[in-house]
Amino acid sequence: MLQIKDLTFTVENTDPGASGQKTILDRFNYTFEHGKFYGITGPNGSGKTSLAKVIMGINPVTSGRIVFEGNDITDLSITDRAKSGIAYSFQNPARFKGISFRQLLSIAAETDDESVLQKIVARVGICSLDFLEKSVDAKLSGGEIKKIELATTIARNPKLAIYDEPDTGIDLWTIGPMIDLLKKEQKNHQTTTIVVSHNKNFLEAADTILILKKGKFVYEGDLDGAIHLLTDLSTCTLPDLCEGENDVRCFR
Amino acid sequence: MLDALDKELLKTVADLEGLPKGAYNIRKNGKLLGRKISANINIETNAEGTGIIISVAPNTQNESVHIPVILSEAGLHDVVYNSFIIGENADVTIIAGCGIHCGSDKKEGHEGIHDFTVHANARMTYIEKHYAFGKGKGQRTLNPTTKVLLKQNAYAEMILEQIGGVDTAQRVNEAILEDGASLLIKENVLTEDTQIANSTNQIVLNGKDSSANLIARSVIKGDSKQDFIASMEANNKCYGHIECDAIILDNGTSDTVPSLKARHPDAELTHEASIGKIADDQLMKLMSLGLTYDEAVNHIIQGFLDRRVDV
Repeated sequence: MLQIKDLTFTVENTDPGASGQKTILDRFNYTFEHGKFYGITGPNGSGKTSLAKVIMGINPVTSGRIVFEGNDITDLSITDRAKSGIAYSFQNPARFKGISFRQLLSIAAETDDESVLQKIVARVGICSLDFLEKSVDAKLSGGEIKKIELATTIARNPKLAIYDEPDTGIDLWTIGPMIDLLKKEQKNHQTTTIVVSHNKNFLEAADTILILKKGKFVYEGDLDGAIHLLTDLSTCTLPDLCEGENDVRCFR
Repeated sequence: MLDALDKELLKTVADLEGLPKGAYNIRKNGKLLGRKISANINIETNAEGTGIIISVAPNTQNESVHIPVILSEAGLHDVVYNSFIIGENADVTIIAGCGIHCGSDKKEGHEGIHDFTVHANARMTYIEKHYAFGKGKGQRTLNPTTKVLLKQNAYAEMILEQIGGVDTAQRVNEAILEDGASLLIKENVLTEDTQIANSTNQIVLNGKDSSANLIARSVIKGDSKQDFIASMEANNKCYGHIECDAIILDNGTSDTVPSLKARHPDAELTHEASIGKIADDQLMKLMSLGLTYDEAVNHIIQGFLDRRVDV
């Protein structure tokens, strides 16, 4: 469904005293299968969001190829990737002055037909119809904007949906319905789903867990097999700097 | 009486497909083109012959008056002084605006000086749109001035727009608010090429529990320049807010100077201002929904300049 071939992504190294390029994804290879639900996790800075953004075309590929449904999309724009069936849900969604949820949903669904928009809101389920009138601006709470982000992603009817940290800002009571929604989309529409998350609830819902570390997948399998690795990761993401549990500079 | 150009200008600046229902006064090339009064809204030429006086009777409810101006005569610089008197407890909508068609190399311009007295408990919605077009290279100038006096518990909502084609604009808005009065101004200005627009605003909150909200949105394209100066002076227990945002495209420039003057210990004044290019995350989001870069830019600008106000 989605093949990533020998993909490298580098950025300018802005670390203090550093120069040159910093490698985020290093000759990365993986094939995502049609209709499966993937949970990508890993320590902070491991390249999870970078990988998701490379797939959507937000980050440019340094080298390597990306093939989606048999077509090489490496050189396609974000727009063309969206039109080919890839949708992306941002961790920190953009806010707009003067654009309502209705307008955003109309763009996503490519229609302003009221009945279609209402069906999408009903299908998403986690936000009420009165949400349509809300301006997608700074007045929205973190939870509200994430619900809108989710709805616009689903409104695309994507073949491949990528969700970057979908639980950011979401209250505990909404996480369950959100996971149910993504699973329902996977089942009813065979949506290939990639969720980047640290949240155990999302990882439990995934068919395959992928742990990313230093720009490579270091684990592929079920959650049970990943637990000991995830426990290590949750303990400390800076093992090289760790000076033990008596280190007073450690705030973890 | 209305030719095709007139109709296009009227449609653009006043949303009119033809002559409006209700009271109206249409001015073309410095002369009266048509006038109609209603039982509650009177329009008469002022004593000096330099403009009109529009009087809305007390208790008038849900009526409107259109007063558009159109210019298509080469070399004409039209200046008008219009007065608006809104009676107590009235609720009225005034649709003004000026459209210029420039077909030659000669300058064309309009200066509309509008002063409003909104009496106690009255509500006024004022919509003013300015637009110029045409193949002529002559400079198009539009210099609107509004001066508003809001009496006790009066309310005014003013939508002031300049939507393109105007080479130079000196925009002035002044308001004085008495006890309990409330004012909302939303000014949208779009400039392009080498156009220049200056907006100077002075709002004085004299009344107890008066409130004012000034929202300015600027879109600055090409090599154009927009300066925005706003002063809000509070002389009583009151609330005032200035919000001025500018989007710069291409090589546009802007000076934005919001000024708050609290002259009373219970005054509450706030302002927020931002100038910058369209945020990348906004473009990425819309492109990820299938829009091209240019479509995304247009949507963002249209939303930014939307008349609706979320306060």
